[in-house]
Amino acid sequence: MRFLQSMRKPVAGLVILALALSITWVPAHAAMVSTDEILKQNQRNLDREHLHMLLDRSEVRVQLEAWGVNSEEAKARVDNLTDQEIAEIAAQLDQMPAGSSAIGTLVGAALIVFLVLLVTDILGLTDVFSFIKKGK
Amino acid sequence: MPVPALSCGKTGIISLVLLVTLTLGCAHLSLEQYCLSVSGLPRSVEIPSVPFYPQHDHYCGPAAMAMVLQWTGENLSPRDLVPEIFTPSRKGSLQSALIGAARRHNRLAYPLQGLEALLTELAAGHPVIVLQNLGLRWFPRWHYSVSIGYDMAKDIVILHSGEEAGRHMGRTLFVRTWRRADYWGLVVLPTGQLPASADEHSYLKAALGVEQTEQWEVAARAYSAALDRWHSSLGALMGLGNCRYRLGDLLGAEQSFRHAAKAHPDSGAAFNNLAHVLAEQGRYAEAIEMATRAVAIGGASKHLYHQTLREIQAAGEAGPD
Repeated sequence: MRFLQSMRKPVAGLVILALALSITWVPAHAAMVSTDEILKQNQRNLDREHLHMLLDRSEVRVQLEAWGVNSEEAKARVDNLTDQEIAEIAAQLDQMPAGSSAIGTLVGAALIVFLVLLVTDILGLTDVFSFIKKGK
Repeated sequence: MPVPALSCGKTGIISLVLLVTLTLGCAHLSLEQYCLSVSGLPRSVEIPSVPFYPQHDHYCGPAAMAMVLQWTGENLSPRDLVPEIFTPSRKGSLQSALIGAARRHNRLAYPLQGLEALLTELAAGHPVIVLQNLGLRWFPRWHYSVSIGYDMAKDIVILHSGEEAGRHMGRTLFVRTWRRADYWGLVVLPTGQLPASADEHSYLKAALGVEQTEQWEVAARAYSAALDRWHSSLGALMGLGNCRYRLGDLLGAEQSFRHAAKAHPDSGAAFNNLAHVLAEQGRYAEAIEMATRAVAIGGASKHLYHQTLREIQAAGEAGPD
């Protein structure tokens, strides 16, 4: 018992030291932004740019104009989409057949239809994609 | 991207015959014509220093990974890698298992897609694991090989494949078998080296893969390497800062986040993380200033920035500046 008594101070000292270390080394990084989050944001920006680029393709412009939609207007509307909507669109684009080849990106017929419907959805002319929030 | 069960049995030969007789259509450009569109590629490349392991049973995945890991200086045999890579129930190896194994051995795993990227890597002296479907779309025979070179004049790709070292495969056949696997390739490099074909975002995702295995020093090396090519890359600076922070290197982390904040004054995340490392050094006044900047910038993570500011204000009141 006396041995335990004599150990109390050093043990308490160690416990305090350990606590102090744990406070120093387990910092409150809950509110730090992870690299993962940075890259996700980056991905969303790239997805938006990609969509802009596709809307600029002449095949797509022609079809949009046939619907009476100006492609500048379409791009402006794309900028107003939420990150969630952009992510959905990017996922759909990844599923498109003939989206890519060894040589580069080809714009297939299915992709043109998708883009045109997407834009007309955004403009409230059609109602095909549930992930686009429709204007009231 | 399909997730094939990749068995690489000998039935591949039968389907090869089927493939040659059944496949119609043309694989358009010759390597030579193709390479003209990618400037500066040599006419022929063969990387001599890639060891060869013949494939036993269905172990093309472990064999391919052992070859490239050995090339990076990691001394492993296919047998060592079987438990890490091979899925016995599917008699094959998944692409994700290959990537995971590379990371486990402190290597950077960079998936690539397409002929341009493949030739660019080979020209830079980097062997590339390629996934081929030696069968047909509806009758797949999956197979991993290691591409170690090409020759434009002969119009061939050079592969360590199956039981054959340095196999010459005609470009048409190679492209067809590779196309059926969505042109999937994997570059495995010592961390700190950059794939020649890498774009910033894809490379950073590969580096993030290393970071997520909590090998902070290795990941920090990968992010530092990114900064050699993309000097003020936000992702690389933040990744480097986050890794240094995890290593307890507060001054190093501060330096990275400061650089990020300076180069990207619209990034709330840079100011937010800078605020944290300043606060942890007891520099509360500066920390509060940075956290306030983050809150003012706002954006998708603004709830975090508010939390940061509150935490630092509380800590600053509790302790001296």
